[in-house]
Amino acid sequence: MTLLALDTSTDWASVALYDGKSVLAEETWHAQRRHGDELFPTIERMLASARSSIADVDRVAVATGPGSFTGLRVAIAAAQGIARGAGAALVGVSTLDVLAYPHAPSKQRTCALLPAGRSEWYAALYQERNRRWLRRSPYIAATLPELCTQIGTHTLFVGEIGDEAEQTLRDLLGPKALFASPASRMRRAGYLAELGWRTLETEPQAKLAEIEPIYVKQPSIHPSFDQPFAPVPTGDVALGLPRRS
Amino acid sequence: MRILAIETSCDETAVAVVDDGRRIVSNIVASQLAHQDTGGIVPEVAAREHLRSLDAVAQTALREAGVGLREVDAVAATVGPGLVGCLLVGANYGRGLALAAGLPFVGVNHLEGHVYANWLYEGATAPKEPEIPAIVLIVSGAHSDLVLMEGHRKFRPLGRTIDDAAGEAFDKVARLLKLGFPGGPFIEKAAKLGDPAAFPLPRASGGDRYDFSFSGLKTATMRLVRSLEAKGEVPVNDVAASFQKAITEMLAEKTARATAEHGVDTVLLGGGVAANLALRDEISKRIGHALVVPPPRLCTDNGAMIGAAAFFVLRHHGTEIPTTVRSDLRLA
Ligand SMILES: [Zn+2]
Repeated sequence: MTLLALDTSTDWASVALYDGKSVLAEETWHAQRRHGDELFPTIERMLASARSSIADVDRVAVATGPGSFTGLRVAIAAAQGIARGAGAALVGVSTLDVLAYPHAPSKQRTCALLPAGRSEWYAALYQERNRRWLRRSPYIAATLPELCTQIGTHTLFVGEIGDEAEQTLRDLLGPKALFASPASRMRRAGYLAELGWRTLETEPQAKLAEIEPIYVKQPSIHPSFDQPFAPVPTGDVALGLPRRS
Repeated sequence: MRILAIETSCDETAVAVVDDGRRIVSNIVASQLAHQDTGGIVPEVAAREHLRSLDAVAQTALREAGVGLREVDAVAATVGPGLVGCLLVGANYGRGLALAAGLPFVGVNHLEGHVYANWLYEGATAPKEPEIPAIVLIVSGAHSDLVLMEGHRKFRPLGRTIDDAAGEAFDKVARLLKLGFPGGPFIEKAAKLGDPAAFPLPRASGGDRYDFSFSGLKTATMRLVRSLEAKGEVPVNDVAASFQKAITEMLAEKTARATAEHGVDTVLLGGGVAANLALRDEISKRIGHALVVPPPRLCTDNGAMIGAAAFFVLRHHGTEIPTTVRSDLRLA
């Protein structure tokens, strides 16, 4: 069994191949707006480098955002096509969940951030509770000052945070703002693959068309959006980390 | 050769199965209803709708054709021109299907699709193929192109609109007359009940060039409606008929002149506005013989036309088969 993971949520794109035990291959690149051209050549190169073939793929995981609307749809449409053509199972995983996931062992309250345009950011907060790593907020689109009103304790920031945003957060939060190192704050499709694999082990498979972007924001024709928040996760949606006893 | 073809360049989510570039095995078109309230297409809304319905439309097209992916020889999708966010949905879904099923992927120019819609047929017996060379008029909400087709996939652009597309002019006038969206069918229906000679409207000729301009006609129609409103009730049917007469004459005049100048008998039509019967009549009156035109549902955007064009891409491609989405693709 092999899982193909695809993520074109932002300017950064990533693909990985995973067999439930090891990451067989992975590629992360700065695609800017060229996901549409570069996704398939990258998938094919990665399959070749892992001496694998698309015929081995029976699971597909795709990052569902929030992120760039057009970018997200590139990987989701591709994932639907691959899953349909290969008869593979398909699972969607939030891009913010992927960002926060490798920081679970830090036990720090973690805030995953991605640029949402016009000085807004997509964000979600994560924390360990009862030895389970959980998302503790809805997926939010907000400015940094708005976001910081929700943050009362030491928080580790991860995601695509530039110098300017880092400085703003330090100004707003002082010593409560902690930052992952530049490399460890980025996301990799290997983590998406692990999360997707676990979900497919535990949850029934969704219909292909049910996998769609977490839009959070309404299309920009509306001067203001009525629904700034995606629905709050029902119950404590665990991200499936094994219990550490 | 059997091709599964995908079209998502604008607001129709469409998938078809086409044999040998001509025979329609299935042809499913899901028109997005989300744009009727906004009176125009919002690109982000259209892209969202495509992603929601594309897989189901593709499944329906295969089911109606009674074939599985294993019995398909290639997957095709429109790669331009069109709304880039919409094109990316169809192209990436198609590339994914092709990769996973071990099939070639063919990127298709949407305008070539409108041309090759003229090669399509349904049923058991194939009608005669259109004769080439031909003058092609592609008129829709997005395009107004006049092209000389010298051979398969050999196109020489003669003229195009310098402002609005013809279909856009229909949409704007329909909105002015409070008739509904898309405007073409509504204007045509109202015009049947009206007098085309009721109001004189300008026809921009642009001299001996083949470029079109519809903004003058649009502005004049707008002024006419405003002045009629000031006087009382607007005779909607008469305005619609007068506008339709003016715009079809502008399109037909250049089309007929192009056939004469290039010594060509065949006229091929494509695009939503080509479904307009008054336009067809006006052109055939001027070229002196009947037109062979696709039925209206093959003039508007559909997957079958992409399947037809993809077949000719595979048969006549000079170099590489395109796979990259480009919103500004042209015929050449
Ligand atoms: Zn079209």
